[in-house]
Amino acid sequence: MRVSAPVRATVQRLTLPFLIFISALLAVLGKADVLLFDRVRVVLADAFAPVLQIAGEPIASVSKAVGAIEDAVTVYRQNQELKLENQRLLQWQQVARRLESENEELRDLVKFAPQGAVSSVAAQVIADSGGAFLRNVLVNVGEREGVARGQPALTGDGLVGRVIELGDRTARILLLTDINSHIPVVVEGTHERAMLSGDNSDQPRLVYVQPKTPVKPGDRIVTSGSGGIFPPDLPVGVVASVNGIIRIEPYADLARLEMVRIVNYGLDGVLPDSAIPAPQSTRGARARAAETR
Amino acid sequence: MVPGTTTFLFTLLSLLPFHVPSFGSIAPSFALMAVFHWTVYRPDLLPLGVVFFAGLLLDLLNGTPYVGLSALALLLVRTGVLSQRRVFSHRPFSVLWLGFFGAAAGAFALEWVFVSLMQVQLMVPRPFVFQTLVTAACFPIGSYILALAHRAMPALST
Repeated sequence: MRVSAPVRATVQRLTLPFLIFISALLAVLGKADVLLFDRVRVVLADAFAPVLQIAGEPIASVSKAVGAIEDAVTVYRQNQELKLENQRLLQWQQVARRLESENEELRDLVKFAPQGAVSSVAAQVIADSGGAFLRNVLVNVGEREGVARGQPALTGDGLVGRVIELGDRTARILLLTDINSHIPVVVEGTHERAMLSGDNSDQPRLVYVQPKTPVKPGDRIVTSGSGGIFPPDLPVGVVASVNGIIRIEPYADLARLEMVRIVNYGLDGVLPDSAIPAPQSTRGARARAAETR
Repeated sequence: MVPGTTTFLFTLLSLLPFHVPSFGSIAPSFALMAVFHWTVYRPDLLPLGVVFFAGLLLDLLNGTPYVGLSALALLLVRTGVLSQRRVFSHRPFSVLWLGFFGAAAGAFALEWVFVSLMQVQLMVPRPFVFQTLVTAACFPIGSYILALAHRAMPALST
């Protein structure tokens, strides 16, 4: 095979530049053709979910052991802190009980209709983005469990993020620290709306704040409900610093997520998948649109 | 077989959630270790296609908008290390480690520049620096596992 030898040599020489070119091209174009990658990604995530879940088990137990050792070391100090906190919380409980009854009376008075039914599903984190420029996690529940795109993910402490990608048995949650996360929030007590904008650091920034709004460290930040994706008053975080840039410390411990709750508040602020025309069915959609006209 | 398999396994390892205190979501890039190790010792057994697809798999599973960026970084690391291979042969581990640190720094610098350009804003460099340090710090562990696999290789292929 004398002919094929030089050909093979040429192919071998060109493989590297070709692959480098392809990956660079994909990386640059990736954002433009998100739909194609979304499909591939969802299928891959579904396929690898069992592998990741099993592989993650030993790591989860190691981290639990580390946590246990940590706890044992700090048990005395923790106990003191918890006693103080308990005292404080008991006081708050009194306040909450009083407010609850007062609230009920007032609701009766104005015939307030409470928000629609809420259902939630618990999800285990099976993969971390692991990148320096990404803040998302993959969880082991998906469409099968009734999860839908846009639904908020919470821990007991507060908001974590929202579902951006949905497979059959996996969902990807964009954390509120990601650079692409923008959440309408309100500074509690001021009614001033703002946007919580991630920048991949641990503390997202509060942007579009009215200049005169008095924001100080320690202020609570909750969702505003604007845009119809998140319901109002989900706890998000607390103002950490205000020098120039206002930074928020999220209530949820985003660095050590193990379980999250994905909650269905019956909101439909996110466009359904069907609203985005798939590449091959554009003609069909156009025809349908023409029919309705 | 072994280099390709370990590279893919290490790629999946990069995705697992390590809940280590103050470690944050910055996971060491095990995929980079595998590519580095095999390029230094047996580049003939790690075809370019495997490196490319490992990077692609990593990008598709970690949900980045820039699918292909890890593939690009891994391919460039492979090219760079291959050209400097002689420096690493028959040298103490510390030289290898230093070389890996350089490769990791290069790879993460590339990602930082690329993402900053695509987002049209300078990304906070801290996570990238952290990831470089964490990845370099974990290299002995990854290298040890890869060396074990490397030694077991003749037994597996017969």
